[in-house]
Amino acid sequence: MSTYHSKRAAEFLKDPEKVTRHDQTFWSLRQKRDDRAHELPEWEDLREHSSQIKAHTATHLADYIDQFTENLKKNGVIVHFAKDAQEFNEIAYGILEDHNVRKLVKSKSMLTEECQLNPYLIKRGINVVETDLGERILQLMHLRPAHIVMPAIHLTREEIGKMFEEKGISKEIGNYDPTYLTRCGRENLRNDFMDADAGMTGCNFGIAATGDCVVCTNEGNADMSTSLPKLHIVAMGIEKVIPDYASLAVFHRLLSRSGTGQPSTAFTSHFRKPRPGGEMHVILVDNGRSNMIANPEHWQTLKCIRCGACMNTCPVYRRSGGYSYSYFIPGPIGVDLGMIHDPKKYSGNVSACSLCLSCDCVCPAKVEPGSQIYRWRQSLEKYGTENKEKMVMAEGMKAVYENYHVYDALLRNSPIANHIPESLADIKLNPWSIGHTMPHFAQKSFHAIFKQAMDELKKGKK
Amino acid sequence: MYKEDLLKKLRKNTTLQFDMPKTTVKGITYPDVVKQYINMCETVGCKVIEAKKNDDFNAIIRKAYPNAKVFASNVKGIKADRNPDTVGSAQELNGTDVGIIEGDVAVAENGCVWIPQTMKEKVICFISEELVILVHRDKIVNNMHEAYERITMPEYGYGCFISGPSKTADIEQALVMGAQAARGVTIILIG
Amino acid sequence: MVLFRKFVARKRTRKYIIMRVGLFIPCYVDALFPQVGVATYRLLKKLKVDVVYPEHQTCCGQPMANGGFQRMSGHLAERFEKNFKEFDYVVIPSVSCAAFVRVNYPQILDHECKTPKKAIELVEFLHDVLKVKELPGSFPHVVSVHNSCHGVRELLLSAPSEENIPPYNKILDLLNLKEGITVKEPERKDECCGFGGMFAVEEPQVSTRMGTDKVQRHMATGAEVITGSDSSCLMHMQGIANKKKYPIKFMHVAEILAADCNILKGDI
Repeated sequence: MSTYHSKRAAEFLKDPEKVTRHDQTFWSLRQKRDDRAHELPEWEDLREHSSQIKAHTATHLADYIDQFTENLKKNGVIVHFAKDAQEFNEIAYGILEDHNVRKLVKSKSMLTEECQLNPYLIKRGINVVETDLGERILQLMHLRPAHIVMPAIHLTREEIGKMFEEKGISKEIGNYDPTYLTRCGRENLRNDFMDADAGMTGCNFGIAATGDCVVCTNEGNADMSTSLPKLHIVAMGIEKVIPDYASLAVFHRLLSRSGTGQPSTAFTSHFRKPRPGGEMHVILVDNGRSNMIANPEHWQTLKCIRCGACMNTCPVYRRSGGYSYSYFIPGPIGVDLGMIHDPKKYSGNVSACSLCLSCDCVCPAKVEPGSQIYRWRQSLEKYGTENKEKMVMAEGMKAVYENYHVYDALLRNSPIANHIPESLADIKLNPWSIGHTMPHFAQKSFHAIFKQAMDELKKGKK
Repeated sequence: MYKEDLLKKLRKNTTLQFDMPKTTVKGITYPDVVKQYINMCETVGCKVIEAKKNDDFNAIIRKAYPNAKVFASNVKGIKADRNPDTVGSAQELNGTDVGIIEGDVAVAENGCVWIPQTMKEKVICFISEELVILVHRDKIVNNMHEAYERITMPEYGYGCFISGPSKTADIEQALVMGAQAARGVTIILIG
Repeated sequence: MVLFRKFVARKRTRKYIIMRVGLFIPCYVDALFPQVGVATYRLLKKLKVDVVYPEHQTCCGQPMANGGFQRMSGHLAERFEKNFKEFDYVVIPSVSCAAFVRVNYPQILDHECKTPKKAIELVEFLHDVLKVKELPGSFPHVVSVHNSCHGVRELLLSAPSEENIPPYNKILDLLNLKEGITVKEPERKDECCGFGGMFAVEEPQVSTRMGTDKVQRHMATGAEVITGSDSSCLMHMQGIANKKKYPIKFMHVAEILAADCNILKGDI
């Protein structure tokens, strides 16, 4: 009965204290998000507008990409298109090679995770330095992000402190104070910023009307990465394009409030032109996105603004951790994105949802990640990745429920099941018994009680 | 991949189209935008100093940062050791204790202030240990809808909304000011 | 004017309600919690509702669909439609089943169907249709309300905690009509208990942890009874509480609302 996710989750759940901390950490982000949402009377209106603007943009994407790239060119920015991860990596490497880049500083980009850019560049001799503190910690520990906004939050200060000691980043042995460790990271990265040959950023929003590439960070690392080296490469998925500043205002107000419960990220950087004497390149990546729009049940996934709110609110994510999902983006939206990317490969995450739909209600773009998971479940049979045991169980239920007489007979005899001793029910084949006692069948079902009462009533009347 | 191929494919794959919303969002407004802006600045970790137009800003800044040694600015009338317009390279601004810059539109709802790039090396806004931003009271607006109607992009083609110091909570969610950029921000509110 | 309105309101509530109401008792309530069906029926009778319980009903089809086999729910949806299409309302004492009929049937059935608009969960029916403002009988206990996910986010029985809308809770409104009751809500008032149908057997460890957390938060309110309008959530939490030997009782909202009422003639 188990799935990729359920097995990994079971591992994570072996340490109940860790689960409590993890759950509490992300629940507190959800609470901060709620506080921000309740400060704005127009909150629900904002969500509705955001959803509509994204729906409009996603279904007019060709026009907006055209406008966006024309403006980029007008502003002196060099535009590239990549159809897939391979092409993206080749283009990025090509630009770096042309400029003899040896060290690249990067601000956080989930797209480069998606395309596995770092290993591609490192293999070709480029020193790639992640500059978001969390991403840097993960890079040094050879781990993947466990969350899209707070990628390293699952690690403890001790784990990070010890790693910093090993790498010579921290000199005060045994000092695991987060402020101290952050300072160490700052000093260490400052050197990398100073002698980097190029900077790469993601792009939260590409503004069609102006050609701005808008990047939101809290650390200021996107700006550090692009204010010192002369070469700036922007990596963005094609779905990041939005119409104009008026639309941007809507998304800006929702993004950090939803994700981290902040009224704004510390930095909202608008890159429109290359630095004086420098070069700016924008690589627009498709990698399956142009197919998403053709999917009638799942095109809405394109509306996602990657705030992370669905992870924070997801009761399953909070209790199973980012690494229990096989796709690099975890949580509800990660389940959906994995499925739309490669359904056969990522079907093992579809079980990670109790269909509580809390994510549908927090999502600032109304992507409805939970409702989409429900729909993905219905299509597993099409991909041949449905759970066979579960299907047999469902077939059994169907057979009983569809035939009233079988159902009635079964219910009449079911109280016998109550006499099965718990120890017998507690077998491996019965996942329910892992955490539950067996439910108790009533001596008489409702329909039997009802029938009896009505018969007696009739008799009484006679 | 060529742009034309992508656009063609997108057009072919799009079967249903949606309109932009017909209305605009009515953003929150505050009875006292200045008070709200000051509150939000403090919430996001700024210090706020209220000043008059004719005050001696140099004295205010020196008083706020008595131990600072290296000041950088290209703002008219501000005394500085380094000028982001004339430094040989952006890297030369490393080691700046206090950078002083001018803000344009400021936003009451979230403590943001629009910093148009009016200097050759914008790194001053990020590399300085402490950042001082001069903000005019009459430039404060209620919310981002109003802000995005008003901001203009300077010739350099870069601008940034800054809301408080650089911060991170990447280690066990403990909030630490000064991740990669300025560790502290002082807003001097003029007028 | 105010007096007049009050008069009209009173007249309306006193009027014998002429509507045809069908009762759907979901499979698991039928088999495991018949007392919930009995309480629902009694309550409706007490409120002078002409309620009919059609024979040969089993399941709405939700368990298979939530597990990913919606295609297996088609016949059951057809039967439900056939059994109940002539009624004005189909009252269902289970939020997830009512939500399933309302939200999912239009996609399952390839023809126009009537029951999605008629299916109504018991609390909704009492609160919004009958507009019950008083209930006989007392229930002098402390209860903690379990706001089931599909009740909150699909049927809107209460304001979802995620949304910035004025707070309300129809379950609380009804429970508070019972004399002597103390109604509480747990911290994280509408976080999922982790049942989710087949989710509980496919992801048993996560499901159990969610349920344990939820039961503990309910118990932290000082409640003697955990109550809600979906017996499947209650069954899940009860299974966990029993396994861990937690001293807490579980009752469906209908059982509390019908408690301490005189049984009428012709009742069950």
